[in-house]
Amino acid sequence: MDEIQELLEDFLVEAFEMIEEMDQDLVELENSPDDLELLNKIFRVAHTIKGSGSFLNFDKLTRLTHHMEAVLDKARKGELTITSDIMDVILESVDAMKGILEYIRDNGDDSAPDIDIEPIVVKLDAIVNGKNTEQSSHNTADNVQTGEKEAKIVGNINLSEITLENADEIDLDSLEPEELDAVLEHLVQLRNQKEDSQEGKVNLNEITLENADEIDLDSLSPEEADAVLDHLVQLRNQENSKENQEKKEESKQSNSENANKPAENSNTNVAPAKSKEVSKEQKKKAVKKAISTAADQTIRVDVKRLDQLMNLIGELVLAKNRLIKIYNDVEERYEGEKFLEELNQVVSSISIVTTDLQIAVMKTRMLPIGKVFNKFPRLVRDLSRELGKKVKLIIEGEDTELDKSIIEEIGDPLVHMIRNSVDHGIEPPEERKAKGKPEEGTVWLRAYNEGNMIVIEIKDDGRGMDPEMLKKKAIEKGIITESEAANMSDKEAFMLIFKPGFSTAAKVTSVSGRGVGMDVVKTNIEKLNGIIEVDSAPGKGTTFKLKIPLTLAIIQALLVASQEDLFAVPLSNVIETVRIIEEDIYTIEGKSVLKLREEVLPLVNMADIFEIEKVLEPEKYLYVVILGLGATKIGLIVDRFIGQEEIVIKSLGEFLKGLPGIAGATIRGDGRVTLIVDVGSLMRLAKETHNKKVVTESLNEAKKKKEKPSDYTVMLVDDSAMDRKIMRNALEELGINLIEAKDGVEALQLLKNNEVDAMLIDIEMPRMDGYTLAQEIRKYNKYRKLPLIAVTSRTTKADRVRGVEVGMNEYITKPYTPEYLQNVVRRNLGL
Amino acid sequence: MGSLNEIVKQQQQSLTKPEENVSEDIVQLVGFIVGEEEFAVPILSIQEIIKPIEWTRVPFTPDYVLGVFNLRGNVLPLIDLRIKFGAAANEIDENTRFIVMKIKNEDVAFIIDRLTSALRIKKKNILPPPDTYSNEDDIIEGVGRMDDGRIITILKVDNLIKREDIVPNGN
Repeated sequence: MDEIQELLEDFLVEAFEMIEEMDQDLVELENSPDDLELLNKIFRVAHTIKGSGSFLNFDKLTRLTHHMEAVLDKARKGELTITSDIMDVILESVDAMKGILEYIRDNGDDSAPDIDIEPIVVKLDAIVNGKNTEQSSHNTADNVQTGEKEAKIVGNINLSEITLENADEIDLDSLEPEELDAVLEHLVQLRNQKEDSQEGKVNLNEITLENADEIDLDSLSPEEADAVLDHLVQLRNQENSKENQEKKEESKQSNSENANKPAENSNTNVAPAKSKEVSKEQKKKAVKKAISTAADQTIRVDVKRLDQLMNLIGELVLAKNRLIKIYNDVEERYEGEKFLEELNQVVSSISIVTTDLQIAVMKTRMLPIGKVFNKFPRLVRDLSRELGKKVKLIIEGEDTELDKSIIEEIGDPLVHMIRNSVDHGIEPPEERKAKGKPEEGTVWLRAYNEGNMIVIEIKDDGRGMDPEMLKKKAIEKGIITESEAANMSDKEAFMLIFKPGFSTAAKVTSVSGRGVGMDVVKTNIEKLNGIIEVDSAPGKGTTFKLKIPLTLAIIQALLVASQEDLFAVPLSNVIETVRIIEEDIYTIEGKSVLKLREEVLPLVNMADIFEIEKVLEPEKYLYVVILGLGATKIGLIVDRFIGQEEIVIKSLGEFLKGLPGIAGATIRGDGRVTLIVDVGSLMRLAKETHNKKVVTESLNEAKKKKEKPSDYTVMLVDDSAMDRKIMRNALEELGINLIEAKDGVEALQLLKNNEVDAMLIDIEMPRMDGYTLAQEIRKYNKYRKLPLIAVTSRTTKADRVRGVEVGMNEYITKPYTPEYLQNVVRRNLGL
Repeated sequence: MGSLNEIVKQQQQSLTKPEENVSEDIVQLVGFIVGEEEFAVPILSIQEIIKPIEWTRVPFTPDYVLGVFNLRGNVLPLIDLRIKFGAAANEIDENTRFIVMKIKNEDVAFIIDRLTSALRIKKKNILPPPDTYSNEDDIIEGVGRMDDGRIITILKVDNLIKREDIVPNGN
């Protein structure tokens, strides 16, 4: 049973692939009906499906393809020109084929009660016959549907007079070629009808290999002959497999006694399976013939295995990042050492190989986007006929590759957008003519790579969109307010079509405007972390650009710091980064915005979104990440840009996953965990934050006014009470606050609980010395700029160098004059 | 195949049986201090005990979720039991440890102030939590009376944290 199942699956995979290809080829054929090569290709596909179908006993499918094949055969021989009407019938039969195949896939047989192939068969036959009589008209199909009963006259012959019984009496030699064809076709038809009503006149069960010679093949109709031959092949195979089985049994029997059981079954079970295997062979051959492309060597691999491989590569990438980090540390410490060179070579080669490996594995998961594009020629053809428009679809870059999981997700949004372009974009021919455009509209579907993204462009030369109209409509529907509309750029106005509840179609057609709308497209693209861009000129056309990341597991990210917390932002959503000053921020209706070139972007502080406590002094410059997702853009204020890094997405686990704004975590080269921002969710949070918090206020939260000396606090760290006393005496005159700590550990503790503006630090102290203390302090972003002044009796150059290394700002040697100390402190506080 | 599995099963049973017999009246626990109090968890629920390492804060979580950290390539949540039990956060010193436990098949780490010892306690010496205990979240398995007179609160590991407490429903 398994083998049959496997065979069936193979058949279905191939059949679906071929039909998809056929769809495309047929549409192409309609444009160039004389392309013999194309015709041959299509014919071969139909023939192959018919062949495979009959091996698997799918009679309905076989019957349908047989008749379709007949039409194609005629066309191939130049006896028939494919017109649009004929193409409609052919495409209809392809659809029926698809339906039957789907039914087979779901149910395992081809009964497909919902699909009635008889009308299609009649139409197909009518095309074959109709053309022959040379009295064809475009309504042949209609005629013939009822025409079964009507007399059909070909040349001098009245077909209705011919029956299977009197067929021998016809003098075939005297007939014209067309007449002959018609008669034969008629006979086949009669026989088919008869077969439908009663079992075929040949009883296959009676035929055995032994009496095969006695059958008079000439007396059989071609199909009966086929059936008999099939039957004989099957018998032959059974015989063979029996022999094989017996041989096996012999050898087995000597080995084990158990072998008897299968031997008994071999007659019933094994034989059909064997014959299927043979038919599989034959089918494979047929397929090979049909698909004339180069015989690629391929194997099918379970996607799960590729996923696992991808996970392992992820671990490797992390280890590589770590290695690079360690190398950098080592390089600093052992500068000039010989072994560094060698280490460098190893690190770079591992890093290169890892990257290559990653790309290679990613590629195994990639499929050409043509897989999705293939169905669009048919879609556009059907649509344009339905809508009475003339539309040409130009596809480019179908070889561009994308991750399998993305390919699966992208089909539906693209169908929607193409429909949209044909339905709303392209004008009816008369309108185009009146505008001085060619009657035939063009839709371009183009895919190409751009960095780590793939860009899919859907462009039409239709009527375009009018930003003012869109705004008006959006206001009417209550999607935006008047003042929002007034502040809206054209590009932003185009984005309105992606808002839920916005549909520009003046009337609802069956094609589009059924309430789902473009917001579904947006949601789907956002799911893939993609960006949508729209450009349009009224009267000239519209261009949609979908930018989608190539893969989902390992991504390029921009690392940013908000206060002291690091976050990784997927680079595919980063449009650009800018540095601004506070004056660049405008407030409109109590909301902060950034004016960037043409656009006005909502501006939100990342620390406000994630409710991070503000501990850093605001600086002169603000760093802004412009984020884009789907059709939305915002400006996100961060405190520092760290850089770009390749990161591996890891889950936060059952307990923490699904937190707003967070997509997961990654492990950095230094072993620390950095959270990855979920741009979609972050955008929603940002909108909420944007509505309630003005950036400029939030920026100043941390900024406390310091005017007089008593606003400042200086910490004295020394293990000697006397030394602390000396410092205190010298500094009290300044009128500043002084707090004391007697070693590094205590100082750190105090620092956490007090706001300190400068520190005087002794070097030699118990528990934690001054160097270590300085090092610890500098680890915090918050204290990056805190003045640290070493006060020590250690005076060697090495000590000073060490002081600078750990981050001391100044180095005062004991003993010192009170004035000197005052000056240093004053300078460092900016008093 | 089936027979092999059976053999393995039998072996496991024969291996675990004697222990089960013993553990019928003896429970093995690991004791630790959080705040002022001594707690214990079954030794089998502990994956490992490590020295504190750096962690990363995670927004929108209750304050007892300190964040996440990297344990050999896995990202684990870190919970401060002291905050969870309503006390102030602890300072980290040389006695502080992370106890990694499996909760519903996920590794979760808890900060504790100090390990005390591995304990063996007779089942009959474990009493249900007295009514005076606030045991709202059902996190207390029982109270153990040690031979030396100490009283130890035994925690129900599976109930120590709950997802619905951490991530609000529907974001």
